[in-house]
Order: sequence, then C-alpha cells, then structure tokens
Amino acid sequence: MTSFQSTIGDEEGIAEELAEGQREISIAEFFEKNKHMLGFDSGARGLVTAVKEAVDNALDATEEAGVLPDIYIEIEEVGDYYRLVIEDNGPGITKAELPKVFGKLLYGSRFHTREQNRGQQGIGISAAVLYSQLTSGQPAKITSRPKGQSRAQYFELIIDTDTNEPEIKADEEATWDRPHGTRIELEMEANMRARQQLHDYVKHTAVVNPHARIELREPGLDEPMKFERATDDLPAETKEIRPHPHGVELGALIKMLEATESYSVSGFLQEEFTRVGKKTADSVIDNFRDVYYGRELSWTPPRAHDDRDVAAAVSEAVANKGKAATTAFAEGVAETVSGNDRLSRSELATIVGNVADGVEDDTGKTFGETVRENAVDAAWRAITGVDTDGEPVGAAAGDAAGDGEDDGGEADSPLVADAYALVDEATSTRKDDAAVQAMADALTRRFLNLDGDAFRIARDDLDRLVADAANFVAEQHDATFGETARENVVEAFWSRARTVPDDPPKVRDVAADRDAAADLLEAMRTTDILAPPTDCLAPITAELVEAGLRKEYDADFYAAATRDAEVHGGDPFIVEAGIAYGGNIPAEGSVELLRFANRVPLVYQRGACATTDVIKSIGWRNYGLDQPGGSGMPNGPAVISIHVASTNVPFTSESKDALANVPAIEDEIELAVREAARELKSFLNKRRSMQQRREKQDVLGKILPEMADKVSEVTGRPRPDIDGALARIMNNVSVDREVSDGTVTLVVENHSDVNEQLEITDIVTTEPTDPSDGTVVDMDGEWFVQWKPEVPSGDERELTYAVDDDAEFEVSVGGVETEKLTVNA
Amino acid sequence: MTTDTDARDELIDLAADFYDQFAGGKIPELQLPTRTKSNIEYDTESGVWTYGDRTSTRSANSVRGARKLLKAAYTIEFLANQLDEGRSSTLRELYYLSESWDNDEAQFKSQDESNDLVEDLEIVTGVTREDFHMRPEESGATLMGPLEIREQTRRGEREIHCQEDVGEGGYQIPNNPDMIEFLDDDIDFALAVETGGMRDRLVENGFDEEYDCLVIHLKGQPARATRRITKRVHDELDVPIAVFADGDPWSYRIYGSVAYGSIKSAHLSKYLATPEAQFVGIQPEDIVEYDLPADPLSDSDVNALESELEDPRFQTDYWEEQIELQLDIGKKSEQQSLASRGLDFVTDTYLPERLGAMGVL
Repeated sequence: MTSFQSTIGDEEGIAEELAEGQREISIAEFFEKNKHMLGFDSGARGLVTAVKEAVDNALDATEEAGVLPDIYIEIEEVGDYYRLVIEDNGPGITKAELPKVFGKLLYGSRFHTREQNRGQQGIGISAAVLYSQLTSGQPAKITSRPKGQSRAQYFELIIDTDTNEPEIKADEEATWDRPHGTRIELEMEANMRARQQLHDYVKHTAVVNPHARIELREPGLDEPMKFERATDDLPAETKEIRPHPHGVELGALIKMLEATESYSVSGFLQEEFTRVGKKTADSVIDNFRDVYYGRELSWTPPRAHDDRDVAAAVSEAVANKGKAATTAFAEGVAETVSGNDRLSRSELATIVGNVADGVEDDTGKTFGETVRENAVDAAWRAITGVDTDGEPVGAAAGDAAGDGEDDGGEADSPLVADAYALVDEATSTRKDDAAVQAMADALTRRFLNLDGDAFRIARDDLDRLVADAANFVAEQHDATFGETARENVVEAFWSRARTVPDDPPKVRDVAADRDAAADLLEAMRTTDILAPPTDCLAPITAELVEAGLRKEYDADFYAAATRDAEVHGGDPFIVEAGIAYGGNIPAEGSVELLRFANRVPLVYQRGACATTDVIKSIGWRNYGLDQPGGSGMPNGPAVISIHVASTNVPFTSESKDALANVPAIEDEIELAVREAARELKSFLNKRRSMQQRREKQDVLGKILPEMADKVSEVTGRPRPDIDGALARIMNNVSVDREVSDGTVTLVVENHSDVNEQLEITDIVTTEPTDPSDGTVVDMDGEWFVQWKPEVPSGDERELTYAVDDDAEFEVSVGGVETEKLTVNA
Repeated sequence: MTTDTDARDELIDLAADFYDQFAGGKIPELQLPTRTKSNIEYDTESGVWTYGDRTSTRSANSVRGARKLLKAAYTIEFLANQLDEGRSSTLRELYYLSESWDNDEAQFKSQDESNDLVEDLEIVTGVTREDFHMRPEESGATLMGPLEIREQTRRGEREIHCQEDVGEGGYQIPNNPDMIEFLDDDIDFALAVETGGMRDRLVENGFDEEYDCLVIHLKGQPARATRRITKRVHDELDVPIAVFADGDPWSYRIYGSVAYGSIKSAHLSKYLATPEAQFVGIQPEDIVEYDLPADPLSDSDVNALESELEDPRFQTDYWEEQIELQLDIGKKSEQQSLASRGLDFVTDTYLPERLGAMGVL
C-alpha cells in the first residue's frame, strides 16, 4: 500500500477505512489492529517511533517558523515505564489548536498539500500519544510557549478512544525556561532493545539536518549525545504547488474536471496545473484534438499540367456571382491550392474562406456559407476524386468492373500516386515496386472507406489500418511489410496529417465522458511540459549533504550530488546522494547505507527499500569498492547516504520505513549515487596513483642516493646533487634556490605531464627588492615574497629578487600535492 | 690486448658517466643494444653476426631500472678492486659475493641476473669479462689430437701435447684460452663434437690418430672458451673446422653459435665465432639416406625449427632446405643412432663419406 495521497483517487485507501472506523469501531480498536503499520508493533520499536514522530514534528515546526532547530530528547526509566520528553524551540502551538494537533488522528495541515514536509498524514504524533495512553494509562503532558508570551501553557491530554476526540485533563499556566517552543512528555510501556536504531535515527537526523542542534539523553548513555550545527542556513522555505500534468491519474483528473470552475479545457489546464500557461495549454489541446478527433490526412493538390482542374470545379460550383467574380474566386482558390505541397480538407476550407473574403472585398459580391461550402466540396472532389460521401467519383466504377480485382477500382484514384510516393519513401529501397504499388492501392482503398470525405483518422486507427493493409498485401502479393516498415508508413502519413481546427469539447463534456477524459490525460502525458517547480522542495543541497557527512563521519573523502527535480505521479522529487570514504569508517563488512526521505532517516526495513535495491544493482567494482560476486551491497570503509525529497514520498507502508520501488525515483537514485560514486572513483584512482608514486619515491629515494654514493666512491669525486634527477624521475615539480651576488633565484621546474598552478611564498629576514612579478608584504620584520606562477608541463620559471647577502629564507610551496613536490631551497 | 689498467679505466669511465648524469640533473641511464633475435645483423666484413642498431635503455626512471643501475655501480666497484688487486673470481662467486654487500637492494636475486649484468658491462665498456678477471665455472670441454701447446698457469708454464701427454679424457680447455700458445701441430682438420659419448667413440676408434684430427668436445652448448679456442685453431693453424652434432633443432643452434656467434654474446662474435665452420651432421638428409633410427619431432622441436627459419643466422639455402626437409619428415636423430649400423660405422663410413663430400678430407 502506498501513501495516502496516491490512493486519494478511486481506490479504497486507508483514509476511507479510517473514516469508516470512526463510525463503526473505536479508534483504539483501529489502532490496536493497525499499530504495526504505524510503527508501534513492539515496545522497543514503539519508543523509537515515538521519538521519530516527535522529532519530525519538532523539526517541521521550527523550520516553518524560520527558527534554527534546537531539539532535546530525553528518555528516562520511571518504574515499569519509560518517560519520553521531546523539547523544541519552535513557535509553540496556540491554545486552541494544541489539543487537536496532539490529540486527534488525521489532523494535520499537510494531508492535502503538495509541499515537502516530514510528516504527511498527521497520524504520527497522535499515534504516539495514543500508544502512550493505551500502554501506561498516563495522559500526554504538553507544555507550549508561543513566542512573545511571558508564560507557558501546560496541558494534560487524553484521547477519547470512542470519539477520536481529545480531552483536556489539565490546563494551567506554567513557567518554562525556553523563550518559545513545545515540550511533550509521554509515558509508555517500552524497552531499550532498539537502542542502536534510536542512536542511528538521531545521528542520521543530524547528518541530514546539518542546521539542527540535537541532544539525546537516555539511561544507557553516560554522556548525552550532542550533535552540533554544521550550518546556520535553514533549508529553503517550501511553497505549495498545484499538481503537474504528467503526474495525475484518470480518477484524479475526472475529479478535478468535475470540481473546476473553468469552462474551457484550456482554462482548466492553466488554472489547475502547475507549469501550464497559454502555450503549453495549446500544445496539450492540439494533442487532445489529435487523440479525440483524429487528424485529417493531407493530399498533394494537382499541379498545373494535371487534369484535375480545381478552377473549373470551383467555377462550376458557383452560381449567380457574375463571371468576373466567379473567375477571380475559382482562379484564386486554384492558385492557392497549387501553391501548397499538401492539403487537408480543413486547410482547403480555410483557403476557400480566405479567397472568398478577398474576392468579396474586391468585387462587392457576397460569397455566403452555402457557396463556400459548395466550393470546398467541389475543389476537394477535384483534388482527391471523392465526393462528399467519401465515395470515388467518375469513371472509377467502370474500371472496377473492367479489371475485376478485389474490392474496388480505386487504382485510378489520384490518391494512389500520392500514397505510392509516401510508402515508397517510408520503406527500404529493397522493397520491390509491385509490393509498394500494392501497398499504396490497399491503403488508398482503406482511406476511401473512412467515414466522410475529410479522411479523419486517429493515430491508433491509422496503426490498425496500415497493419490491415499490410496483411492484405502479404496475403495477396506475398510481400511482407514488417513491423518497422509499417511504423515508417504510419509515421509518413501521420506526420503529414493535419490537426483539425475543431474546438475541443468543453470541460463538462470531458468530465462526463470517461473516454474523452482518458484522451485528455493521454494528451497531457504526451505533451512536453516543463518539470514542476522545485520551490515546493527543500533539497539539502550537495554542499550540505557533504557537510552533514563531514560532521558525523571522520573520513578521507566526501562527495555529494543533487539531481535536478523530476516528476513522479504529479509530485516533483529530488534525489541527493552523498558518499564518505575511508578515515575512521570501519573497513570490515558492507558499507553503511543512510536512507532519508524528506530529511527523515529511515531506520527499519532496509531490505525492502528501493534505495537498497538500487545500491545493490550498481556495479561498485567500477567505482573502486569491493563487491563480492559483482552485485549486492558493496564492502569497504564507506557510508552512502541517499535523500529523496518529494511532496509525496512513496513509502511501502504507513510506518514510512522503506521507499517503494518507483522506477522514476529508482532511476534518479541511481544517477545521483553514480554521480557521487564517480568522484569517489577518481579519488580512489588518484589515491592509488599517489600511493604508487609514494612507493616509487620511497624505493628510489633510497636507491638513488646509494647509487650516487657508490659512483662518487668509485670515481673519487664528491657526492653529486641528485635532486634534479629525482624530481625528473618522479614527474615532479622541483623548486631550487640559487643565491649569487645578492640575487635570489628560485627555479621552478615542472617535470609532470600537466600544467601546474603554484603558489610560492618565500619568507625573507631582510627586505627584498626588485622582485620579479611577485608581491612583497612586510610582516613585522619578515618579508613575504609571493608568486603564483603557472608552469606548463616540461617547462621552468625563474623567480628572482634582490636581497642582502646575510638574509635567511624559508620557502613554502602550495598548489601541488606534497608527493609531487621536491623543494631544495 | 686489453691490460688490467685499461679494463679498470673503462669501468671507472662508466661510473663517471653515471656521476655526470646525476650532476647534470639527468636521470642516470645505460644504453645497450637490444639483445634479441630481431636485432642481430650479418657483418659482411667479418662474416659473423653482431648486434644491430636498435638499443634499449636501462633507466633509473623505474624502480626496476634503478635497482639494476645500483647493482651495476656495486659491480663496477667490485671489478675495479679485483683488477687493482690482480685477483680473479668466477661468475658464481660474484653472485654469492653480492650477499656481503652492505646494501640489500644491490644484491643479486639469481645468478642469471649477475651473469647478465656482467655481459651488459662487457658490451658498454667493450672489455671482455675475461679481462675483468671474471670466469665461468669450468665447462669441462676438452681437446684430443696431435697438437702441442704451452699453457700459462698460475703455477708456471706447462708444455702439453694433447695426444701424448694426456689421458683418455684429453686436454681440458682453460677458462681463458688466450693464455695458451700453440707450439706445434700435425692437424689436418678439427672436428667439434657435441656429445661426450660420440667423442669417446671417436677416441676409442682412434679417429684422431688415423685422420690427424683434433677432436674438440663441445659438451652441449659450447662455453666461450671452447668457441674461442675453436676460432684460434682455425685462424692460427689454418685448418678446416667441422661440427658434428645431433640431428635436431637444438644442435643446429650449437653449430650456429660456433659458426655465427650467439645472440647473447653477439657483441663478442668477432672474437668467438668461426664463420668458416661447416656442419657435418646429423643432417635431416642423413636420417633419410642412412635410414637412421629416429624419434618424432615434438611440438617444441617444431616451434624451434620454425623459429630457426626466421633466425637471420640460418637464412641460407642449405639450412632452409635441411630444416624444411626435417619439418617434412617430422623426425630427429641423435649422433649415436649411427651405432645402429655397428660401432665402427661412424668412423669407417659416415665421417669419411661426409667429410669427403664436404672437401675436408
């Protein structure tokens, strides 16, 4: 079962079930039956779930109020029970709504909004209250102090399990040291067997909410666990958005159509959906027309030499308009028609209308509706050879008798040549001519059989028609038109067919006609529409994902990636991934996977989670992690964190433990993880090559001086300076100092195969003068000479300045890894 | 003749090259001719095969290369000291001696490594290892025939007649045959024999006496000293040299190294090879003609034959014909297979016929 929002349509979801439950069974009974779904199936788990719900609420409340969260969690043993205290520094809750928020299942502002929030159902914290009440018999004790009030309000609250109504047992003023915030105290039957999950939850919450300060005290801890802030930036404020056209389902669409105040489909689309303006609405409506009405096939009008005389046909269809006007009209239509490559009947009608308007203006004669229609009929007959009933005209009947071939004599129809050209173009050159001709004949016959004379056909009907013709040709002429050839033929005709100018049906008609609504939905889905705005989402951002990991894991490497927003079921979502590697992360066993949904850590049911499936499906060996068997969870000192932010995160169950396997989301998870993993790979590669370099350096750093010693011994000369040779061997950057006649020269040689951007600072004890390029800064009697030279691969630079002979120097070089640096200065 | 001082100076010069490379900020390196089959060329002037123009570089740029050069530096020092002190040592001793060096990295991992290094030094300095006072283990190869020599031993001069003054085993060729002086001889030709069994048969049958022949025992792939003395016998005594080996690809290589020089020591070909040496047999042709007992060619035999067809040393009409014939019949025979026709067949029939046909007799 997915979450509430996705079942809001026509399926019977838990919401309905709950609503019924209110009338027929007591809420306590309902809770008892469903507590596993809500995460309260055991005492151990109940405690974690209660903490989770309360902390989620606290974080949401503080963020909504624009306050940096400061959350305090305390668990105490009280006799046979555990007492759970959660405090936040949120805005507090007003006296009027407080009981409802904590005391009534399904109360919550988020149920119907498309906005990213931690809680979505308004079920969690009240379930915790109910659980505590059912197990310990104690009321929830709530203290709230709205901002600016001098005193806090203290309540004791129980839920009337018969009516699902909160009952306030105590309501008095109290003092509280926090200037504002909420404190909830629950006593419940519980145990601390899930301590690890509790710690994970709190730690992971800290990772994913680097702006929050969290403190946890529980009986098993000597010292409270404290998680400090890594940033003072609150997550971006989220906005509520309307649904996205790509994400609605048919039932939802029909409901929206019924509820809207818009009259036209265009208005409806623009009013009710996000990312739909006039232009997008027009595109949707064009697609809607194509699905709903079908397109009109277009045909090649006769050229000058053709015997299909449009002018004559038009002129014959016009009566009583005088010779000049008739001729002008007929010629005008014929000329415009022949100026078009292809025409559909609707386009012809437009041409006739335009020409008629022009002739009216020129001659003062009126060309009324009837005249125009007759002219269109006549001209269309001339162009396509069919009359208004869609039947072939003229000599066709005679021919049919003559050659006696199958179902008609349309071989003479002017459309055949047209169809032949398109089929020929669409099929491979290897098709023999007779087969193409047979296909063109068969298609033409079937087009002529379409209702009316406008050749209107929907895409799927065209598919069927072409398939039928292809089967016929296969049977009669033993020529195969395979799948691809058929598709090409369909595409050839469809791409030349014209969208009809008819007005789309009105909203109320669409709402009343399920098929029309389905057509509209298809049109919405096939139209390219901008992804939904992301201001309804608050991604952590790659930077802070990394900061969160950095804060809680002491690793050698961190990477993070945030994907662009995508849509699933009309709800935008963003996937973020982070990886920490090495350092103090344990190297044994599989990597640690941190799962987050809307900044809430998912602690249970890891195996059922889409994130786990995605991680297992990735070939981690490519990215430098060990993966036994090449699939499954990778091993090694790594932490992978995945955050899915959405206005509606699809969970596998109401306890919100695992993400459902939604392909669109899985794809994005994979892309995000791979993006971060690529960085890991290049880090590991670099580290490996640095390690090899270090090993080589270690060995050569030992061997070469010994060799130098030996050759100086044999030759009886003093030991040679081998730094230059060493730097060259290591593909290193070397910095050497030469001092002569009061001039200091630092020679920078780049023996590596890449350009190096260096930062060289020389600290001098007496004042240097005349530096080449660099800057000189006086720091309390020491002078810092600084250069930032770029040294191309294989090149060298000389940095010079003048100074007293008795000066002392200390050089530091930055911008290049120490492994690659040989300083002799 | 290279004196000890010359040899020493060459070594020190090489060390100085390394020194200068270091001092010039360059990576020390050693240029050597590439020692592969594809890089040996026929030297028309001397008629032997020597290294071509292609070179390989041993550079300190890699850990492997640096280790090699370090070992070279240590070996140079060792050899220079040895020359100073007028002592000598064997290649095997050099290998064990490296264990005593103060530097683990400079120690040899195997004797092949030290042998190769000494060859490298020979090539680069142009001094033979004999002149470095490095000698191999005695190979045990011998001479038997009417030849009188004077050998300069560490215990004074010895004059030896290689037929009259020696036992059945013959005169053992010393490591540095240049210490021998030829005094007198009664030799018509020299016969270099691959196997000990065949040498003993020839001596037992009195072949050397009957034909005034110097029987040189090659003892498999001949050592440098054996090849050197063969060349000296040919050059100084002006007698023809014939090589008598098995009829298989490995034995053709033995002939090749006597006549044309070996790939590994191609830098010394002019000093070691006897291009005029002729191959007696066993020829593939003989296997057919004398109907000798034969073994089928193994896969490695076939590969070796095919590789010889591509070996520039064997690209003559004679060898191409013989090798292709052998590949065709698919058989090989040993020298001793001649015994199938009686113990005297080789000395009474085969050799006189073959040597006669070759114009040696």
